[in-house]
Amino acid sequence: MNEKIKVKVTNLIKNFGDNQVLKGINLEVHDNEVVVVIGPSGSGKSTFLRNLNRLEAPTSGSIVIDDTDIADPKTDINKVRENIGMVFQHFNLFSNLSVSENIMLAPVELGKATKEEAAKQAKELLARVGLESKYDATVQSLSGGQQQRVAIARALAMNPNVMLFDEPTSALDPEMVGDVLGVMKQLATQGMTMIVVTHEMGFAKEVADRVVFVDDGNIQEQGTPDEIFNHPKDPRLQNFLDKVLNV
Amino acid sequence: MKRSFIRIVGGLIALLSLFAALNFSTTPAKAETTYQIATDSTFPPFEFANSHNKYVGIDIDLLHAIAKDQGFKVNIKPTSFNAAVQSVQSGQMDGVIAGMSITKEREATFDFSKAYFMSGVVMAAKPNGKVTSLKQLRGKRVAVKTGTSGAQYAQSIHKKYGFKIVTFDESNDMYQDVLTGNSAATFEDSPVMKYAIRQGTKLKIYTKPALSGPYGFAVKKGHNQKLLRMFNNGLADLKANGEYARITRHYLGAKGSSDTTSDRTFLGLIKQNKGALLSGFEQTVWLTIVAIFFATLFGVIVGLLGVVPSKFCNGISTTLIYIFRGLPLLVLALFIYTGIPSLTGQKIPAFIAGIITLMFNEGAYIAAFVKGGINAVDDGQMEAARSLGLPFGKAMRRVILPQGIRIMIPSFINQFIITLKDTSILSIIGIIELTQTGKIIIARNLEGFKVWAIVAIIYLIVITLLTWLSNWVQRRVRL
Ligand SMILES: Nc1ncnc2c1ncn2[C@@H]1O[C@H](COP(=O)(O)OP(=O)(O)O)[C@@H](O)[C@H]1O
Ligand SMILES: [Mg+2]
Repeated sequence: MNEKIKVKVTNLIKNFGDNQVLKGINLEVHDNEVVVVIGPSGSGKSTFLRNLNRLEAPTSGSIVIDDTDIADPKTDINKVRENIGMVFQHFNLFSNLSVSENIMLAPVELGKATKEEAAKQAKELLARVGLESKYDATVQSLSGGQQQRVAIARALAMNPNVMLFDEPTSALDPEMVGDVLGVMKQLATQGMTMIVVTHEMGFAKEVADRVVFVDDGNIQEQGTPDEIFNHPKDPRLQNFLDKVLNV
Repeated sequence: MKRSFIRIVGGLIALLSLFAALNFSTTPAKAETTYQIATDSTFPPFEFANSHNKYVGIDIDLLHAIAKDQGFKVNIKPTSFNAAVQSVQSGQMDGVIAGMSITKEREATFDFSKAYFMSGVVMAAKPNGKVTSLKQLRGKRVAVKTGTSGAQYAQSIHKKYGFKIVTFDESNDMYQDVLTGNSAATFEDSPVMKYAIRQGTKLKIYTKPALSGPYGFAVKKGHNQKLLRMFNNGLADLKANGEYARITRHYLGAKGSSDTTSDRTFLGLIKQNKGALLSGFEQTVWLTIVAIFFATLFGVIVGLLGVVPSKFCNGISTTLIYIFRGLPLLVLALFIYTGIPSLTGQKIPAFIAGIITLMFNEGAYIAAFVKGGINAVDDGQMEAARSLGLPFGKAMRRVILPQGIRIMIPSFINQFIITLKDTSILSIIGIIELTQTGKIIIARNLEGFKVWAIVAIIYLIVITLLTWLSNWVQRRVRL
């Protein structure tokens, strides 16, 4: 982790109609940092992530990624998104395309690589997530865990320098969670800047540089895994940890 | 495999545009001396298609003889009586000769020639039936044909005699209604009724001609006065040289033109009308194919407008779908064919008016399911594509549409079959497709049941073929 600021969120507010979901979030993420976001369901974690690549437009506040203000109308949001990989809870693999086509689509369509280069890269990425044998497979033939690993490979194909994960293992059968977390750990080790929303507290303890607790549209507490898990101060965080750790 | 599919589609599009170009360019250009004359397609003995599918009759023969006498050319276009009258009103046609009675009402909007025929309305009913005079009509139904003097006569006396009027667009349907006993009698022009009875219609005339009416050739009021003058001069010449008498005798004399002796079995009817049925069938198929092509184009564009991220475009899409799905096809066809030209003064050939009608109507249905199909694709697919940096258009084309189209295919097949069937409604603007061909053949031989059975079977065969073709395409696309 170094001191360069990769993502800077200032006073981010998001309303859905009358419902204020994000109430002024401030967060800085440094280069190579792994930030794990925890918090009860409905607290605004997904909304926060989706604002970072403008799948939702902020109501107010600023988001600067790599010195680019993504709220600036002059910013080409497509260019910004090329550098921000996103992994969804429900994988969202393109069901009309094969595994390799899923990975090759964006680099080829956006002129980042020729078909041959993209195919070679797809093979390498699949090897990296342990699925080299699935190159020609259809999406429908894969298990959930396999689909999520392909989704990670697909995001990596654009060579992003930030990765967003929105509960990547919540929709998986328990025996598949390990494989996906394994790939994510490996990414973290290689120095990827990551913002991960998850309920996997083990992963947070082991991999996170910083843990952020969100409740009611605000960051209530943040710190190292040790501070958050072993010395929580906020009563709501204590309550939350009680629930998730003592099931 | 994908490429060969694209090639097939590409070839088809090329073929269609070629056909469209040919078809549109062969619509007769109006030369100096060629007049476009509208007539009724089914009003024997004044106008009807003979067994060689050629238009003949008192009106047709007179007009040709007058044109020859006066040195001008005519291009006679058979359509329904109403469409014929309206097409002259809207300026689509120069004149109308369709056994049209000269009335005060019509003189307000038409200029008529001198009367070329004296007709009168008679009542016909089943022979040996219970109805033999107007008095016995009380409480019963009387069949008339829309817009004829028979209808006018019925209107003028129905209160006095206490009967109910049922209107039909075709003479044969009206006779059938009397024969089946739904209606007690029909009011029809006497020459028409006589001719029908000679053709084997089992009805009998019970009254003397009433409302004796002159038939005239008509042009739009204040227009085509030269044509009107030539008609009058020619008519006088024909009466003087005996040609007029020869023509009327040919159709109304004791040995009138009649084909009651011809073979009336199914096979016989098919054989006699092979040419007409084939060309009606071809017209139906071409209408269907060209209409599907343009309706698909229109539908896909309007459907896509409904899903792009722009409230303005979404609004346009919703409005277009609402309007064109809401309008009955018949109203839309008449509006485009007769309404628009009377506003703009610009003629539209019936075939093109038909294609435009189907394009809007069927296209609106296609737009609705294109929109629905795209919306049925999981939102996560679009989000995943956009999160990779793909612009909206690329995401749509590469990810959403391929999935949406799969959802839409069954609706497309269904819509193609509906389009084929809907082409029959275009007979109203005088396109001689399969249904109109059936009406024309029946007007001549009055074999309603058998001819409709033949027409129905032809439709079923085409629909079966179309279904097979669609299923084959569906299998290939599924892959
Ligand atoms: N597109 C939307 N429209 C309206 N309300 C939304 C939308 N997305 C999320 N919300 C609301 O925002 C709140 C936070 O949702 P979310 O960010 O998904 O929470 P989390 O991911 O922490 O469970 C919830 O109350 C949810 O109903
Ligand atoms: Mg969530």
